[in-house]
Amino acid sequence: MPIYAPTLPPAPDLNQGQPPALVLMRFDLARLWRQKIGRFFGFAFLMVLIVKLTVIYVKYLLDTNAALRPMQDFAKAVLSQGAEFQAGLLDPASYLLWFLVALVGGGLVARDTLYRVRPLMYAHPVSPRDYLVAKLGFASALPFAVLLPFVLLPWAMSLMVAGLHGPVWPTAPLRLLPAVAVLSLLMGAMAVGASAMAATPRAGVGWVLGLVLGTSALASLVQGLTGFVGAQALNPVLLAQTWPQLFVGMDRPFMGWFPAALGTAFHIGLWTFVAARRTLPSEAVI
Amino acid sequence: MIAFENLEVRYAAAAAPALKGLTLSLDRGIVGLLGPNGAGKSTLLKALLGLLRPSAGGGTVLGIPLGAPESARLRGRIGYMPEYDALIEDATAYEQVAFWGELSGLAPEAARDRAHEVLYFVGLDEARYRPVSGYSTGMRQRVKLAQALVHSPELVFLDEPTNGLDPDGRRRMLDLVLRVHAELGTGVILASHLLGDVERVADQLVILDQGQIKAAGSMAGLRRALARRVELRFLDPLDAAQEAALAELGAVLESRNGLYDLELAEADPPAVFRWAEAMGATLIQLTPRHDRLDEVLLRALHPATATTGA
Repeated sequence: MPIYAPTLPPAPDLNQGQPPALVLMRFDLARLWRQKIGRFFGFAFLMVLIVKLTVIYVKYLLDTNAALRPMQDFAKAVLSQGAEFQAGLLDPASYLLWFLVALVGGGLVARDTLYRVRPLMYAHPVSPRDYLVAKLGFASALPFAVLLPFVLLPWAMSLMVAGLHGPVWPTAPLRLLPAVAVLSLLMGAMAVGASAMAATPRAGVGWVLGLVLGTSALASLVQGLTGFVGAQALNPVLLAQTWPQLFVGMDRPFMGWFPAALGTAFHIGLWTFVAARRTLPSEAVI
Repeated sequence: MIAFENLEVRYAAAAAPALKGLTLSLDRGIVGLLGPNGAGKSTLLKALLGLLRPSAGGGTVLGIPLGAPESARLRGRIGYMPEYDALIEDATAYEQVAFWGELSGLAPEAARDRAHEVLYFVGLDEARYRPVSGYSTGMRQRVKLAQALVHSPELVFLDEPTNGLDPDGRRRMLDLVLRVHAELGTGVILASHLLGDVERVADQLVILDQGQIKAAGSMAGLRRALARRVELRFLDPLDAAQEAALAELGAVLESRNGLYDLELAEADPPAVFRWAEAMGATLIQLTPRHDRLDEVLLRALHPATATTGA
């Protein structure tokens, strides 16, 4: 038997709240916390990060410890201090990251579709633009937050153990963080666009993986059939790997600035457009 | 509370407008919104929420013009309880009511405090930390009501609030609706197909059909306007000519033992006295028959066929 309150006091002032997009992002973050998938990915990313840090420390030891001097020539060949090494700080993490983005991002919009809460959101002071900004923001902030330690921790450790002459460039964050921002936006847009096409979170995961792997396969197929290397600009996995290479100035990146920018803009534009169209208030729902 | 004049709403892809020529003024109270499927109730609610821009005419809700840029601000002053589930299944009642409070403009801490208060108000105090996926239908309806009330709206739209509830659950929900208006002073618009629910709580009624208002006004006034059925008894039995002339007043639905069940052509009972005087018949009894709400609704929707439906 329910017990009812004698009455309901008036609500506090309505104008003290946070912007709707921020409220939506915080709720998605709380939901991610509840899902507990962070444990697996937290462990996996931690392992990758530990390997990265270990490599940097070993390189420092090889450079500075006299007892290890005979190994230095070998080490210099294996552990380069050049642009490739800087760009490689993000490589293994970005593969794992696609799966994290698929698992989390696939449900971002689809879950609201399944539970039919989006029309109710629009019956509040929330606009479709707020909703899209929140979902894109969260889906992009997630890979950015995961990759941030991969840029900052090796950089900080390198500075601490070897000063300005460590294996990680002192300017590495200035080059890698813009690359992380671009590839995070690419991942976020694809995840939200795919999730907007799905009716359930599980289908959303499938859509994200399907789109990422499908467009990659398509790009390779077109290249194989026509010999046109620029077709790889459609490949989101390759694009995500290319941006760090371009920003650190690698001699032979997977593709040049123009095709990378074109391909990335195409994916971000297309999937943002899809998400925007699919999350407009439906005339038939409310 | 709400006023509109010649309001027309047209969907982009549709040939005919979904709402046409709606002119109405509603006072703060509990308004029952009745009509068959496709009548335009949902479209009207969307227009009132500021989600649809009128294609012609206009109006105001809580003093803000329909379709105006500040309609987002208006939605912060309105609560909406949808007909469909719209619950976040993996969240507790407390989490989601606080979430909706924040989306309405409450600060995070205030929204959390408020979620406790409003869940207690709707009778979910003890269950508020359980995920709503385990709730009964009645509890789910109360969570939806709580999210509509969390920001103390001036006006609340309740779309089929008693859907799927057993008689006891219906009674409790309708009690809450009455309390929302009586204790909080919140205006209520209640869209329902359950005429008994509307009859129990509403003090104003709007009947919609095919995008047009068929009848609107206070419940008592509507009943008076639409109540055309009377029982007549005369001192002496009417002769054949008088019985035939009785048809001038309206349709004779039944006659037995000198008692005539008559549906007047006009809602004008004094016309019976004038007719009796003119025909030389002595009228000894005229009893207005109070129509039930479903009869009122049927008459408003199907004026031509309602006379035979007694």
